Amino acid sequence: MNTTNHITPDDLNLFALQLLPDAAMKDAAAHLKECEECRAWLGEIQADLVTYALTAELHTPPAQARARLLRKVAEEKKVIPIAAVAEPEQQKQPDQQEHTEPLLYPRNGRTLHRDEPEEREPRRWIAPAMAWAGWSIAACLAVVAGMQVDQRKLAEQDLSVATAQLTQSAAQIAHAKQVVDTLRDASAMQVALHVPLNAGAVPKLDPEGHAVYEPSSGALVFVADHLDPLQPDKTYQLWLLPATAGQAPIPAGLFKPDANGNATVVMPPLPKGVTARGFGVTVEDEGGSKTPTLPVVLSGT
Amino acid sequence: MNSGMEVSTGVARPAADEDGELLTRVLRGDEGAMAVLFDRYSKIVYSVSLRVLRDTASAEDVMQEIFMQIWRNPNSFVSTKGSLGGWLAVVARNRSIDTLRRKRPSEQVEEMNLASSYNLADEAERSILMERARAAVKLLPTEQRKTLEMAFFDGLTHAEIAEMTGDPLGTVKTRIRSALLSLRKAFKA
Repeated sequence: MNTTNHITPDDLNLFALQLLPDAAMKDAAAHLKECEECRAWLGEIQADLVTYALTAELHTPPAQARARLLRKVAEEKKVIPIAAVAEPEQQKQPDQQEHTEPLLYPRNGRTLHRDEPEEREPRRWIAPAMAWAGWSIAACLAVVAGMQVDQRKLAEQDLSVATAQLTQSAAQIAHAKQVVDTLRDASAMQVALHVPLNAGAVPKLDPEGHAVYEPSSGALVFVADHLDPLQPDKTYQLWLLPATAGQAPIPAGLFKPDANGNATVVMPPLPKGVTARGFGVTVEDEGGSKTPTLPVVLSGT
Repeated sequence: MNSGMEVSTGVARPAADEDGELLTRVLRGDEGAMAVLFDRYSKIVYSVSLRVLRDTASAEDVMQEIFMQIWRNPNSFVSTKGSLGGWLAVVARNRSIDTLRRKRPSEQVEEMNLASSYNLADEAERSILMERARAAVKLLPTEQRKTLEMAFFDGLTHAEIAEMTGDPLGTVKTRIRSALLSLRKAFKA
């Protein structure tokens, strides 16, 4: 793998990516256990990988995922060691072992004589039994109390999950309402986007888009279909073209078509109160652009 | 060598110790601490998994598995230095690649000693870091960017990448290394 006992930088990168062949992975892992220098290099590379991982587009997990996890967590309750609690009890053992009879016998302090076997034998049996019964009751009470605590924790957990879901649902409803309001708003600007006349060859099914925009709230819903597929490192970008002369196009969301060529942009972050003269769509590098790159693949005013 | 790459974004950061405290509570069986960790990091874990797997159900499965691993074995991270969020992001990628390749995921927690202290717990700071990371990636030459994407998000080995692109193996390795180095430099700038 290397000529100086260290892992080569290239292989260290592949190790961090877990892309080395199995045997080479094992060799590298064995070397890393012994080599502080290579471990430090690996730490740097892993930090770089964190940086790169952050380029993934952020998505919110499904709403039920949290409840699902907490349910599984509750099902796999941990057994907490109670050594600290048990220790004092154990320290008493040597003293207790000196007694050949149960600890609580005799409870009434009465002296028993060897010449009273018919009376003593029943007491030897009853007193320990009573003692163990006491412990049993205490243990049962502890179990019941423990179960009640667990049930309360579960109830509290359910409540917090329900509250979080309610909050999320309320936000989703508000968002949906704004979408519906925008679509129903008679005063909202509606623009159909088509392939510009000078855009070259026309496919069988022309890509087209439809934008509904309400300037005062900045609410925008855009639907497009028959879109051409993109290279993996490209994205479509929607642009709001302000009515004010000289004002630059405003980015209005990135989107990629599905397998059928359909795509939507719903409520992208836009400044409020911008009057639009139209909308345009361009193809940009992954991550989008601050200014549109020609050609404009869809436009409408 | 270890520069302890720390990114200052000007945003007040919750102490990294808070994560350590949460993990200690998880160690004691505190289910509430798990809920807090999930709220902090589920988005990043889910997003990385989704980016690799491109399937919401599989991404959620990977996310559940990772958080259950924290619940079952929080000690594994307590003894590992670095950012919990960063560790989770890379573990999410590794587990997702395992799923993609239908490889049995390792039960062992990845040992990492990240030379970074990214605070991904704070949403505002995380957003800034993400923006900076994306900007840095955009500066990479196309070949490097594509090669890194194929290796990291698609989990293709250097041999597979070489076969797909027609580039020599050495070139692929060099591109991966150069891309990561460029990212580091751009992020430190």
